[in-house]
Amino acid sequence: MEERAEDLEPGITSEGTSEESRHQHKEVKPWYSGGLKDWIFTTDHKKIGILYFFTSFIFFLLAGMMGMLIRYELTNPGIQLPSIAGQEGADLYNYLLTGHGTLMLLWWAVAVWTGAFGNFLIPLMIGAKDVAFPRLNAFSYWVFLGASVMVLLTAIPGNWIKMLWTAYPPFASNPNAGPVAYYSIIILLYGIAATAGSVNFVATIISMRTKGLSFRKMNLFTHTILGANLIQLFGVPSFLGAVTLLFLDRYIGTNFFNPEIGGDPLLYQNIFWFYSHPAVYVMMLPAFGIYSEVIATMSRKPIFGYVSMVLAIYLIALIGFLVWAHHMFAAGIPDWARVLFSYTTILVGVPTGIKIFNWLATMYKGAIRLTAPMLFVLGGLFMFLIGGLTGVLLSMVSANLGLTDSMFVVGHFHYVLGMSVTFAALAGILYWFPKVTGKMYNEKLGVWSFIFAFIGSNIFYFFQTFSGTLGISRRYADYPNILEWVLINQIQTFGSVLLFVGIVLFLINIIVSLRSGQKAPKNPWHSPSLEWSATDTPVMSNNFKKDHIEIHKDWHPYAYYKGYHEHF
Amino acid sequence: MNQDLISSILDLISKMVFPFLGTTEIIAQPRAYWDNSYTIWLIFSIIFFVGILLVGIYIVIRYRYVKGKNEEGAHIEGNTALEVVWIAIPTILALFLATLSFANFMYQRTLPADALEVKITAFMWGWEIEYPNGKVVSTYFNTEKPFEKDDSEKFYLPVGKKIKVLLSSRDVIHSFYVQPAMITEDAVPGRITYMWFQINKEGEYYAFCREYCGSWHSYMIAVLKVVSEEEFNKWLEQK
Ligand code: HEM
Ligand SMILES: [Cu+2]
Ligand SMILES: [Cu+2]
Repeated sequence: MEERAEDLEPGITSEGTSEESRHQHKEVKPWYSGGLKDWIFTTDHKKIGILYFFTSFIFFLLAGMMGMLIRYELTNPGIQLPSIAGQEGADLYNYLLTGHGTLMLLWWAVAVWTGAFGNFLIPLMIGAKDVAFPRLNAFSYWVFLGASVMVLLTAIPGNWIKMLWTAYPPFASNPNAGPVAYYSIIILLYGIAATAGSVNFVATIISMRTKGLSFRKMNLFTHTILGANLIQLFGVPSFLGAVTLLFLDRYIGTNFFNPEIGGDPLLYQNIFWFYSHPAVYVMMLPAFGIYSEVIATMSRKPIFGYVSMVLAIYLIALIGFLVWAHHMFAAGIPDWARVLFSYTTILVGVPTGIKIFNWLATMYKGAIRLTAPMLFVLGGLFMFLIGGLTGVLLSMVSANLGLTDSMFVVGHFHYVLGMSVTFAALAGILYWFPKVTGKMYNEKLGVWSFIFAFIGSNIFYFFQTFSGTLGISRRYADYPNILEWVLINQIQTFGSVLLFVGIVLFLINIIVSLRSGQKAPKNPWHSPSLEWSATDTPVMSNNFKKDHIEIHKDWHPYAYYKGYHEHF
Repeated sequence: MNQDLISSILDLISKMVFPFLGTTEIIAQPRAYWDNSYTIWLIFSIIFFVGILLVGIYIVIRYRYVKGKNEEGAHIEGNTALEVVWIAIPTILALFLATLSFANFMYQRTLPADALEVKITAFMWGWEIEYPNGKVVSTYFNTEKPFEKDDSEKFYLPVGKKIKVLLSSRDVIHSFYVQPAMITEDAVPGRITYMWFQINKEGEYYAFCREYCGSWHSYMIAVLKVVSEEEFNKWLEQK
């Protein structure tokens, strides 16, 4: 045992047994080894994470292309998109908008965390060999892939779903909406996959932490994934319920939502938003987690106010369930309900504000390395600040009555979800790139892709947001030929092209670095966090060398301060 | 870039971000209450945004990594007093803004007693208005000239008079957005919702549909033709 002592990072003690060294000889392969068959039948959380990642990322690119086509349509007044198969250009637009929204939200902003990042990282961060139910995990991915393939088939003309991702009845039972049954089945499959995933994560994080890793020593990213999956666990059933009732209304003739025979269309909106509002925190919380990881590491500082950061996560998850009716401020609900939800909504701003201050305080007196992931995080924080402030306006019910369903809303959520979440994901991809591939990403390309994406998205979304104050509505394929409106749209398209270039540079970076990146050191960021300090780079199939890694009592994932290393 | 483009972009930004500037007279109500909420929010937001941005930029520049000089961060894990302060201040501000919006909302939602009452019904993809004397005008989407209406399809309204609208829908959910008044309310089938507005200047204004309702959602507009009271009464009496 003596000679392996230097392998150990500070804070991790070994409990070597002879049994364990036998294991070592068998399993020294990196995690990605194995042929096609291994990948298909894998139950390894790392492989499943990567499968999820590729699916999710491809759909991100696809939805991005749809976004660019939407911009093409909106750059000039009039209908630009061709009529395909006798269906009007406006219908194609509505299909693209439905696809863009659904895919960006569910396939990218939700799945990239819970499916991809969560799967790959959580067991490594908590010192576990795998998730609690590895087969359920594999099942979850394959069901998700099934839903994904079905999504691709909607591109066939005649199969277009054109009811937007919210699918409000009674429009959803109108023939103009497209194949609702098909949509319901896609969402049901998605929901089954999501539920299987969230059961798994909650069980894993609660019960599989290695000895000594208390909740107060858990990475903030792990906390956010737990928070996000608790939301999924409680929220997804209500979403699936809404979609199922929709299906029954349309095909079995029930009348939950049909007002002609006593149903209530607003019932759907209540059930739908009861999930879909908290869902934005499923997307946002893990982004916060990544901000915390990267900021602490790159500033070489412990997280400022760790305990309040953790409490804020669970508070946000909880309050998230109390604000759904802010999506219905103008929908004809009683006035007292509008005021009540206005208060609860604006109060979610507080725990989020706390997090921003704590990140700033974490950087204060640090030694800040402006690497590409750090730039993406700072850019994401900047976007989040604007997104948060515009969100405060939308939660003020009197202002909301003039802005609901306008481009202001679209700009607001592109700041928050579009870019704050996406920048966090891009930061995460670069930050853990060495862990996954064993190679370093290209710093120059990383910085350039950030610069383009940051400038482009700010031009794009600034004009998108405030164009709503001029009265421009969302979900319009066409708009009146008002000189200002045309100019606003052209500026937005210019911004979206810069953003697009940024994303392409990012993609080039990934491909180039995969093929010819420099070999990564074991712990390029000198991080005490377990996924770096206690595993090889790239990770070996068995995650950790020892069956039981044990944590020193003074260990903490953010113990970056000077003197930490001498401490042991 | 030429000078003209830059100045029109600056013009545009000032119009979008400061929509309450420029119009000395308020041409429509309840727009003033929207303006009020928006303006006060904007002041707070700019202060917050600029403050955080400056502090952030200062920290990033002042404490950046310098090899040999600044390689390790200080050991600061928290400061309870500081955290209490920055929990308390946003909480107070949030409650203040919510209450301000509550006050404005009361004005926006309280129906005036002396109003002209009309019934507006939405359908895919058009609007129908019924005046107190039973006169009905309806307007329908037209892909040939989507944003123009014949005179017979315009909704005449008296200038400077409060209009009370009872809204409903014949098929799916639509939403009636009176652009100059900055007010929206959904038209829900099976329900009657309400709103009020008032336009103080003669002219033609758009009301858009704001709830997605299918292929021609963006062409589902109504043109509000605001005329003097006499002209309105004369028009109302014509069959
Ligand atoms: C290449 C980047 C992107 C472009 C060019 C783009 C463009 C657009 C445009 C033009 C709209 C239509 C607004 C309207 O008429 O209502 C839209 C809607 C939307 N976008 Fe994006 N977007 C991008 C990235 C994203 C991302 C990253 C997300 C989320 C993670 C996102 C989520 C949405 C959603 C939810 C909608 C609403 C769809 C609906 O109205 O149902 N977008 N986007
Ligand atoms: Cu919401
Ligand atoms: Cu409509």
